[in-house]
Amino acid sequence: MKNVAIVACGLAPFGVRKATWRELVQEASKAVFDDVQNLDKKDIDSLFVGAAMPERFAFQSHVAPLVAEQVGIVPHKVVTRTELACSSGQSAVRTAWASIVTGLSDIALCLGVEKMNMPNMLETQTSMACVLEREWDGVQGASAPPFFAMCAQRHMHEYGTTVEQMAMVSEKNHHFSTTNPYAQFQKEIPAEKVLGSPMIAPPLRLFDCSGITDGAAAVILTSEERAKEFTDVPTYIIGSGQCSMASNLANYKSLSTWHPLKIAAKEAYRSAKIGPMDLDFAEVHDCFTISEIIEYEDAGFCEKGEGGKFIEEGQSNIGGKMPINTRGGLLGTGHPLGATGIGQIVEIMQQFRSTVPKERLVDGAEMAMAHNLSGAANVHSILVFGRSPR
Amino acid sequence: MTTIVLPYMLDFYPLQDEDNTRIHQFYASLREGKLTTTKCKDCGGLFWPPRVACPGCNSDQFEWVELPDEGELYAFTAMLLGAPLGMEKDVPFVLGMVQLDGTEFKVLSRIGNTKYEDCSLGMRVKLETYELEDGRVWFRFVPAD
Ligand SMILES: [Zn+2]
Repeated sequence: MKNVAIVACGLAPFGVRKATWRELVQEASKAVFDDVQNLDKKDIDSLFVGAAMPERFAFQSHVAPLVAEQVGIVPHKVVTRTELACSSGQSAVRTAWASIVTGLSDIALCLGVEKMNMPNMLETQTSMACVLEREWDGVQGASAPPFFAMCAQRHMHEYGTTVEQMAMVSEKNHHFSTTNPYAQFQKEIPAEKVLGSPMIAPPLRLFDCSGITDGAAAVILTSEERAKEFTDVPTYIIGSGQCSMASNLANYKSLSTWHPLKIAAKEAYRSAKIGPMDLDFAEVHDCFTISEIIEYEDAGFCEKGEGGKFIEEGQSNIGGKMPINTRGGLLGTGHPLGATGIGQIVEIMQQFRSTVPKERLVDGAEMAMAHNLSGAANVHSILVFGRSPR
Repeated sequence: MTTIVLPYMLDFYPLQDEDNTRIHQFYASLREGKLTTTKCKDCGGLFWPPRVACPGCNSDQFEWVELPDEGELYAFTAMLLGAPLGMEKDVPFVLGMVQLDGTEFKVLSRIGNTKYEDCSLGMRVKLETYELEDGRVWFRFVPAD
């Protein structure tokens, strides 16, 4: 199979932005084209836009041509938008990767964007409830916080995980995001502060939850053969796994074990011909603190039920067994749905290039993965990256 | 004819009559206090929510069967902040996954007549149906005793 490389990356700052959807697009576009050498925009033949709900948040559909015009390209091989809720950004990259692998596309731009802060936040919250199965689950008043709260309850019940351990995840990721000028939250949040924050859906409190965020992120992909034309340090895609299991909550096997994650991870490691601990660090989807703890386990970084101990022992910090979410995760940087997955990949590329601030550098890293879940954790998406091609 | 107060695209509840859905029987039964679903006549597959085509064997021949109206709480929480439009006045409310007796289904539902503090894992709950202000019908679970 043809090797594919990421040759440029760029971010619009994440946060509550005084900027529109299309302005965020332009900021990420400027950033990614500032990052690339020797690329004529005319040579970009494909565009993949990761956007979860522009119809709801920006009253705009058919967004790919809008992005193409804002960016200044005329894609003529593939032009499309990918929607997979919280994984929409990674979906853009996975689809671009597949298009380059087949030889259909030569150079692809992937741009992920979401503008979630609206004049009336009730509208945002209402739209977020349709990420679940709206007719049967959303209708009950459920959205992400109650779902992940129940995951936390089951995990605490079955494995003895504690709210203190969950708070440590928030503390760690907020600490990392103090080093990240693109993050929504750049202040330390000690575990005690997490435990004293307002209850959202018990046992989850405010700082157990990622924010409502505006942001955009972009990467450019091409084949291994052409990669060195555009950057000295390409980031190669060396593995992939993705799994969707159930939609209606009634049909879940478990809340405390995420079976689709186990399947996606197994396939990602198999295709990359590695084991989980061969990775040097990972970006995982910490939409809530409990998510990161379950992901330690089901992605294979520790034994089942020991995710709480993993954070407590500092194993997910730099210097531990598997540094997790060095840019600050979703908890620290915010979670602009369509931009999140690409924002994670930007971090991986900058780690490989050693251009992140020293405090969060994973020195000499050669392999990493980006993981997203979407909806009520029923879809899990993983891409594995290397500093060297396969 | 149902009159929906919110714009349709912000209305969470399904349209329930036979002009709008092929599973209108589900809502008719719900109005009689029964929680039902479809069972495939060809492969026996029981699915939640009700179907019009069988994901197991591709049949479209179903019979309606009644589901147990009791179960136990597999998990629960409460919505304290951030409820969607039309549900703000209900806050705080309890949400739970109800493991229906003798089935694989853990149906997500409001848990009425109780507070979060008074719920526990494994607590027995029973079905309760009610009419929405616009005349449509819906269901929730409440403590069994
Ligand atoms: Zn069947």
